[in-house]
Amino acid sequence: MSKQKDDPANYPALGRMMLWVDKPGSANKIFWGLTIASILAFLADFTYEKHGNFHIAEIPGFYGIFGFVAFTALILIAKTLRVFIKRPEDYYGDKAIDAEDYPEDQLDKVDYDA
Amino acid sequence: MLDQIPTAFLFFAAAIAVIAVPKGPIRNSFMLLVPIIAGYQVWNLDAGISSQVELFGFTLDLMRVDKLSRAFALIFALAAFLGNLYAWHLRDTVQQVAALIYAGSAIGAVFAGDLITLFFYWEGTALASVFLIWARRTEGSYNTGMRYLIIQIASGVVLLAGAALVYRETGSITFENMTLGSLGTWLIFLSFGVKAAFPLLHNWLQDSYPAATITGTVILSTFTTKLAIYALARGFAGTEILIYIGAIMAVFPIFFAVIGNDLRRVLSYGLNSQLGFMVVGIGIGTEMALNGTAAHAVASVLYQSLLFMSVGAVLYRTGTSKATELGGLYRTMPLTAVFCMVGAASISAFPLFSGFVTKPLIIDEAGAGNYPIVWAALIFASAGVLLHSGIKVPFFTFFARDSGLRPKEAPSHMLLAMGFTAAISIYIGISPNFLYSLLPYDVEYHPYTTGHVVGQLQLLLFALLAFGVLMRTGIHPPEIRAINLDTDWTYRRFLPNVIGTVARSMSKVWALNSTFWHRTISSVISRLNNSHGPEGRMAQVWPTGSMVLWIAILLGITLIVNFVS
Repeated sequence: MSKQKDDPANYPALGRMMLWVDKPGSANKIFWGLTIASILAFLADFTYEKHGNFHIAEIPGFYGIFGFVAFTALILIAKTLRVFIKRPEDYYGDKAIDAEDYPEDQLDKVDYDA
Repeated sequence: MLDQIPTAFLFFAAAIAVIAVPKGPIRNSFMLLVPIIAGYQVWNLDAGISSQVELFGFTLDLMRVDKLSRAFALIFALAAFLGNLYAWHLRDTVQQVAALIYAGSAIGAVFAGDLITLFFYWEGTALASVFLIWARRTEGSYNTGMRYLIIQIASGVVLLAGAALVYRETGSITFENMTLGSLGTWLIFLSFGVKAAFPLLHNWLQDSYPAATITGTVILSTFTTKLAIYALARGFAGTEILIYIGAIMAVFPIFFAVIGNDLRRVLSYGLNSQLGFMVVGIGIGTEMALNGTAAHAVASVLYQSLLFMSVGAVLYRTGTSKATELGGLYRTMPLTAVFCMVGAASISAFPLFSGFVTKPLIIDEAGAGNYPIVWAALIFASAGVLLHSGIKVPFFTFFARDSGLRPKEAPSHMLLAMGFTAAISIYIGISPNFLYSLLPYDVEYHPYTTGHVVGQLQLLLFALLAFGVLMRTGIHPPEIRAINLDTDWTYRRFLPNVIGTVARSMSKVWALNSTFWHRTISSVISRLNNSHGPEGRMAQVWPTGSMVLWIAILLGITLIVNFVS
């Protein structure tokens, strides 16, 4: 898979369309688009009468706040957890699947322009 | 005539016949035909018990058909079809026979009306499925398969022990709703819990699923765990402890999923978390909650298969499923990327996708039953599932950094299988009433209310936003080549180490002990030898004459004794 051969013109059409995401600035656009969508979803809470099983769920934006906080907490906890349980791939020896390659004869590796 | 044959036997007969069918497209067409016939048969079955068999004085009910068993059998047949389509390229008799027996056993177990039949099929799924792991034909997969088999068979043995105790107690082997109390029911509960991957009994799943073949994992992801969910729903609906087990189960695997590197293992943790939702539904045990469990099982079979298929396709083309090695594959595998995102959206329960119409059935029941902590745990898990299966798997495989890999798009049969599965997932999401009509109880539920849609969108959008913020600030943990410890450490590292240490110290003590006695006895002998031996001190004062004298004295005494007596 040499880099010289890599020609976006030969990608499948759908793949070429999706190349947009890697254009400079697209990541920013996605991020701000997401921010706007989130704000809209938050504002939508004021357009109807909320009634949940618990009063807390009736606070405007409850699910949004919950989602944001839960997600952040989750990542921070997982990151901390990793410090304790991370081990090298050959921790269980070289007779474990993490240390060995998937058998080549069961694969069909083909390059896109082959 | 077709309705006279137990569905499982169709698969078993096909598993024997498949050997005679020539390898290649003909055999693969045959593999597709079997689940279609089975699905057709199940679709047309009438409710009730048929196919009774006498065995050692027990009446075994091979086919107990009601809406609950029918729903699971149908999704199993559909999943078998999709899995076999995905495996169209396969020319491996072992995997083909195993897949048929596995699907047949799972469907047989679902229709089992008594505990003995259930036991036979329960072990059938264990024995057949391990060949999907061994078929990778590496030493690592052999070892993993052994661990998997031991745990699965043990689950069956515990089930049999429980069934025997329940029979002694009640005189009945009927498989019906039980109340936890006696040892027998606890054993059955434990046996189901192993297969359902309860917390701390779970690790066989994440250990073995990434070790199976590409096509094997897709098939494995469907049957064993969902069979256990069915068995729990049948046997322990309304058992309160399940609510808490399920809530822990929905949350606890997420952390491991977030930091996993092998994406098939990440998906296995995600699967485990989804099972937690179903277990909560069973624990609540209301009609609506059980509907939710059945519906979520159906939806989750589909999106979980879809996700395993897409990662499998990447593995098939690149030789790896590790997040650290992948990235940017959307360029040349765009369709696989799109299907993967459909699976991701379905598992994350985006509106218009299948998870959205099934998961709230359970979460709402947890709310209605006034379990606030469980309710919050399930919402937390809903945000978590977005992270590991919704974002992590598609993002780090198909987007993120460019790995430089430019594999060809997945083969057309894989695309077809993924396309079907994706289409069904979207169809369920758009018009849930078809799925609802298959559920065990009548459903009057409208998932597309403003409150639901906005609430769920808020949860997901803000969680996505959090992901964006954490990525931009670099707080999100990077993918690294590593594995993470889980409970399998106890039997892969800790117990072998303990046994090794005990064995070594025992042999040391033994060696010390035997040396001690050896030395003691040797020294006694040598000292005796020193004093009494031929060269010893005592021997010096023993001339030959004294021996003759003593013999003479002895003879004399004998003579006197003779004379006196």
